[in-house]
Amino acid sequence: MSAHIRPVSPLLVVLIYLALCSRLSSMRAASSCTNGQTGCHFLSLANLFDRVIQHSARMHGISNDLHSEFELYFLPSKNQIGRVSRNCHTSTILTPNGKENAQRIAREELTEVILKLLVAWREPLWHFHQNMAQHHEFNNFSSNKSLEMSDMVHELRRGVQKVVEKMQMLGVISSSLGNLASPEALLASDRAEWRLMNDYDLLYCFRRDSNKIQNYLKILKCRIVPEHGC
Amino acid sequence: MRTHLGLVMLCVMSAAGVCSSTSAPESPRQFDCRSREKETFSCWWEPGSDGGLPTEYRLFYEIENFRGVRECPDYVSAGENSCFFDKKHTSFWAEYIMMVVATNALGNASAQFQIPDVMNYVKPDPPVNVTVVVNSSAPSPFLEIRWKSPPNVDVRTGWVTPKYELRVKQNDSKEWKTVDIGAQTFFNFHNVEHGLLYMVQVRCNLDYGKWSEWSNTIFAKIPKHRQLEKYFWIFVFVFSLIPLLTAMYILVLKRKVVKQCLLPPVPGPKIKGVDVHLLKSGQSEDVVNALTGNQNFPPMAAWTEQVEDFLLVSDSDEWLLTDTFASEEKKDIFIIAAGLHLGLEIQCGDSTVDLNTWEKTDDSKEETKSNFLNTEPTNLPIEKQECLSGEEVSIQPNTSYVDIQQRPTLTDYSRVKEVNGDTILILNEEEIPHGSDAVKLKREVSVPDDYSRVKEVNSDVVFLEKGDSADGCCKKKEDHYTDWTNQKPIMPHDSELSKGFCSKMIANGYVDSVPSFSVK
Repeated sequence: MSAHIRPVSPLLVVLIYLALCSRLSSMRAASSCTNGQTGCHFLSLANLFDRVIQHSARMHGISNDLHSEFELYFLPSKNQIGRVSRNCHTSTILTPNGKENAQRIAREELTEVILKLLVAWREPLWHFHQNMAQHHEFNNFSSNKSLEMSDMVHELRRGVQKVVEKMQMLGVISSSLGNLASPEALLASDRAEWRLMNDYDLLYCFRRDSNKIQNYLKILKCRIVPEHGC
Repeated sequence: MRTHLGLVMLCVMSAAGVCSSTSAPESPRQFDCRSREKETFSCWWEPGSDGGLPTEYRLFYEIENFRGVRECPDYVSAGENSCFFDKKHTSFWAEYIMMVVATNALGNASAQFQIPDVMNYVKPDPPVNVTVVVNSSAPSPFLEIRWKSPPNVDVRTGWVTPKYELRVKQNDSKEWKTVDIGAQTFFNFHNVEHGLLYMVQVRCNLDYGKWSEWSNTIFAKIPKHRQLEKYFWIFVFVFSLIPLLTAMYILVLKRKVVKQCLLPPVPGPKIKGVDVHLLKSGQSEDVVNALTGNQNFPPMAAWTEQVEDFLLVSDSDEWLLTDTFASEEKKDIFIIAAGLHLGLEIQCGDSTVDLNTWEKTDDSKEETKSNFLNTEPTNLPIEKQECLSGEEVSIQPNTSYVDIQQRPTLTDYSRVKEVNGDTILILNEEEIPHGSDAVKLKREVSVPDDYSRVKEVNSDVVFLEKGDSADGCCKKKEDHYTDWTNQKPIMPHDSELSKGFCSKMIANGYVDSVPSFSVK
């Protein structure tokens, strides 16, 4: 009995060791992917970007739908004369207005613009939803959409903040945006301008800004991690 | 009256003015813009009446957040009554206020148009390189549809994200089946049937903007239903399998019957008196008996040569052959030299007797030979006499007459010394079986032995002039030989026995090559 075991036991030991090693290495690989190697990180950064871009696309879609509904209800004239510029409260935020401009602007600046926009719209949308719920002439579908829209802005801002943190960690962008992440600094700039807007204008402005956010995020992704689907 | 005239004049003048009127232009109508790739855009207006005069149109615009009024940078690229804004002059998410002014000699007119966001006017070109491949594999066929984004759209920088939509219709149907694709540029359409022709179209839009026009129609035909073929072949296979199985069944279970049909037993040979079974199992003797049918053959006798050729035996020159021995036919003659002692005694005296005896003994078989025997002695007395006279020992002609007919004269082949040619036998002189005490003379007469001695050839007989080949006994012979040369050869028919018996000998001895001894 012992004679049989003797040659087998070292084999068993070796097998067990190999199994453990493989498990450990796989675990290490999983853990290292979130902490360690660069390639793995960029992959996760690209995934993050995709997630936020999808989110922003959905948000823009909802804003588009809401705006179309409002047009049906209120029927504003298409070629209005005299209204030179809309009073969007985010008009003060300088945003690149074309592809070349968005390409030329610095990454940090572009990221800052995105964050500013997202921060600026959180409160107005929440209020808008509150108004929608109170006014019963709007159907439930619109009310649900306004709620969804307001939630989305908040979620998207948190997602973009995570992307920024990741980028800062990877050294893609400098750490000078740290102060921007705090909402208080942003809110100080736009206090009540949005209250002057009517609902239609608000929806119009938000539709425009959500489109900007979506485009800027896409451009940012293709500038930072272009190999993952651009 | 005058008032009436005045009114008429007014009417006429106004009419004249209307007919030949040129006036200020009307303001333009209908304003529309389009951006094909979300980087540039163009706008068109519909001009109003130009008032009969050449009218100039100009466009002035203002952008939100940008101060100042600007004029259209390009009136030409987009066609007539249009304005093309290149990349430098295109701003998105910004409001454009357009003013189109129509001017002619008589005045001007203008209209204002508002473009809240150029993004609203983004309408791309249709997708290109639309390919449809029919995939007939798997359980059901499907269409592999592929396309490419419009060429002027920049997808690489992420500035533009096209979305696609395709539609498929049967050739003879009216309704399209539409599918929202998303951002990918391929699609597998499964809702197709065999044997039908389908039409496929694709379109795209950029960032929730306007949809493009539908692309060119691509036709695709699904091949006919293969299942029918499959069923057909299954059917054929099954039906061909049935006879195969029955054949195998027959072969396996009815082996013997089939064997008998295909390979009938070969009928054995039918021989009377032959028992097949006996052949199979019997002994060899039985087999032989069976085959031969139990006939009784006489025992085989030793082969005896039946001589058809004639042997001329002579031991001396005096050997004569009478014409009685002349035979009709010519045959090969075996001329045996005088020295041949085929059981012959070379005794002058007794030779005849011996020969005779010998001849007789060997002559038992041939009847015809007996004739010769009978005739011999009559012709040979001369030789006999001659023999007595001298030392010469010669075999009397009568004694020398060997039964030529029978080859058995050469019964004792041990005496054969040499076979020279095929007509002559040279025999050695050996012991005489009869134990003769006589001088053994070695007489060798070989006709073709030494052709230098040949004197004359008469027909096919060669006359020899014997030389020294003979022994001393034949010295005289020689003399005789020499004498003989002078003499003419005499045919044996003459039967003249002169002194020159040798001549006769010559004449007769070798002459009758054949004829006298023909035996039929």
